[in-house]
Amino acid sequence: MAAPMPDATLATPAPPALPSLVNARRLRTQRLGRGLRLWVPAGVLILLLAICFLLPLVVTLPSSTNGDIIYNNEPPFSPGHWLGTNVQGVDIFSQLVYGGQVAFEVGVAVTLIGFAIGGTIGVVAGYFGGWVDAVLSRVLDILIAFPALVLALVIAEGLGPSEFHVILALSVFGIPAIGRITRGATLAMRGLPYMTAARLSGTRAWRVIARHILPNILPGIVTFSLLGIGVVIILEGALDFLGYGIPAPTASWGNMIANGQQVLTAQPEYVLIPSIALLVTVVALNTLGDALRERWGVQ
Amino acid sequence: MVLAPHIQFQGDSGARDRARRITGSPALRVVGRRLLAAIPVLIGVTFVTFAVMSALPNDTAQAILGLHASPSAVAALNHTLGLDQPFWQRYWHWLVNVLHGNLGTTVEGSSVNHELAIHVPTTLGLLLYALVVSVVLAIIVATLAARRPNGIVDRLSLVVSMLGLSTAPYVFAFLLIIVFAVKLNWFPVLSGPVTGPGSFFKNLTLPACAIGFGLFAIYTRLLRADIVEQMQREDYIVTAKAKGVAPWRVLTRHALRNSMFNLITVIGLNLGGLVGAAAIIETIFQVQGIGNDLLTGIANHDAPLVEGITLIFALVTVLGNLLADLAYAALDPRIRYGRSNA
Repeated sequence: MAAPMPDATLATPAPPALPSLVNARRLRTQRLGRGLRLWVPAGVLILLLAICFLLPLVVTLPSSTNGDIIYNNEPPFSPGHWLGTNVQGVDIFSQLVYGGQVAFEVGVAVTLIGFAIGGTIGVVAGYFGGWVDAVLSRVLDILIAFPALVLALVIAEGLGPSEFHVILALSVFGIPAIGRITRGATLAMRGLPYMTAARLSGTRAWRVIARHILPNILPGIVTFSLLGIGVVIILEGALDFLGYGIPAPTASWGNMIANGQQVLTAQPEYVLIPSIALLVTVVALNTLGDALRERWGVQ
Repeated sequence: MVLAPHIQFQGDSGARDRARRITGSPALRVVGRRLLAAIPVLIGVTFVTFAVMSALPNDTAQAILGLHASPSAVAALNHTLGLDQPFWQRYWHWLVNVLHGNLGTTVEGSSVNHELAIHVPTTLGLLLYALVVSVVLAIIVATLAARRPNGIVDRLSLVVSMLGLSTAPYVFAFLLIIVFAVKLNWFPVLSGPVTGPGSFFKNLTLPACAIGFGLFAIYTRLLRADIVEQMQREDYIVTAKAKGVAPWRVLTRHALRNSMFNLITVIGLNLGGLVGAAAIIETIFQVQGIGNDLLTGIANHDAPLVEGITLIFALVTVLGNLLADLAYAALDPRIRYGRSNA
C-alpha cells in the first residue's frame, strides 16, 4: 500500500480539460483511409482470383481456345458472350479468365522460386559474410548485370514454349532481385545486439537464421515480392507478346494483346480489354504492397 | 604565402606529395577497385551467354547453306566456322578476339562490329531521349508535389506514378499508337530510319514515351518521398527557414539538391534494365536498334551477334553502377570526406 496522501492533494480540483492535440475526427478519417488503402486492393485481388479460379468451376464458360467462326467479331454485351468474341469467334471473357489463371500461376511460382533460391543465397551470404558472401554476391552481380530478358528468351527458344519454361525463364529475373534484398536485410540484422547475444549463447547458425533473422526480414521480403509478382506478370505478358511465352492456342493476356495488335486500328478493344485486366491486377498488387509497407514500416 | 618557403625548402617532396595525393585520391581508388571488380562480372556474363547460346540447337551451318544442303557440307562448314570445337574453346577464341576489338561475324555473314556501329547509336539516342525527358519531368513534378504533401498536386502525381509503375510498356506503346499515330496522325506507326534531328524526334518520340513513362513514375515517387523526408527531418532545413529563406527556395535549393543523390544512384542502377525495355519497344515500333537485333539474333540462333549485344548491355550496366557511385561521391561532400578519413 502506498502512503496515505495528504488531504490537500486529494482536494485539488481536476485541472480543466486540455484542448485535445489530436483531432478525433481527423484521426478517424486517417484510420479509415489507412484501412481502405489496405483492404480495397486486397478486395480487388481476392475478387480477381475468385473470377479466375472459382468462376470456371461454378459456371460453364465458353471454350477459351476454340470458337465458332460464325459468331466471330461479336461486339461486347452480345448474348452469350458479354465481352464479345475475337476474330476466330473465341469468347473474350473466357480467354480473360483462363489467361488470368496463367498470369497468377506464373507470378506466384516465379516469386516462390525466387524466395527459395534467391532468399537462401541472400540469407547465407549476408549471415556468413567473408568469402561465402564474396562468391555469392559475385554470382548475384553477374545475374543482375546479365540482361534477364536475353536469358529468358534463350531459355524459351531452346526449350520450346510452355508455361513451365516461362516460369524457369522468369526465375532468372526473380532470383537475383530477391537475393539482393534478403542479403541487404540480413546484413542490417547481423550487427544488432540481440543477434550477438544469440550467437554468444551458443545458438547454432541455422537456428539463428530460422528464429531470429527470417521473422525479422520477412515483412520486407513479402512486400517486395508483392511488387515482384506485378513485374513478373508484366514480363510474362512480354514473353507471350514476343512469341516466346505460353504457346499459341492457350489463352494468356500477352497472347490476347499480341493477337489484337493485328487489328489494332479496326478493333482497339481486343488490345484494350486484356490491357485493362493487366493494369487492374498490377495496380492492385502494387497498392497492396505499398499499404503493407506503410503498415509494417518497411523501407 | 606563408607556407611557400617551407615547400621550397622541402625540395622534391612536393612532387611526392602530389603523387601521393593522386594515388591516394579516394575517387580514383574507388574507380580502380570497381573497374577491377567489373572484370569477373563481365567475364561471367559473357561466359553464361556463351554457354546458353551453345545449348541451343546448333543449326548455324544449316541456316547458311539452306535446308537441302548435304550433311557432309554442313559438317565441313561447321569445321571451318570452328563450331565443332567444345564451347569453352570457342569461348576462349571469342574472348581473345574481343580483346583485339573483333566481335566476330553474324550468321548472315556481316561483321558484328559493323552491325553494332550502325545500330548502337539509334538505341543510345532512344534511351537517352527517354531518360532525359523522364528525369526532367520527374524533377519538376516531384518538387511541385513535395511542396504541399497530400495536396492536390501530390495526390495527382501519386496516381499518375502508380499508373506508370503498373502499366506494361508494351501496353502503353499501343495506347500511344492508337491515340497519337492512328487517331491524331502526329507520329508514324512504325519508325523509319533516323537521319537527322527532325526524323529523330518524329520517329523516336513515341518509343521514348513508351520507355520513359515507367521511368518517370519510379523517379517521381522516389524523389518526392526523399524531398518530403528532407523537409521534415533535416536540421539545415530548419536553419534555412529560420534565416528567412523563401519557402520555394528552401525546397529547390536545399531539399531538392540534397535529394538528387539518391535519384542519381537509382538512374545509374536502372541503366541495365532499360535495355530489356528497349528490346520490346523497338520491336513494336520497328526501330532499327540493338534491341531489335537481339530478338532477331536469338530467333536465328546467332551466337556472335547475341554475344556482342549482351557484352554492350553488361558494360552499360557495370559502367552505370560505377558512374552512380562516382557521381554520388563527387556531389555529396559528406561521402567524399567520410571515405578519405577512413
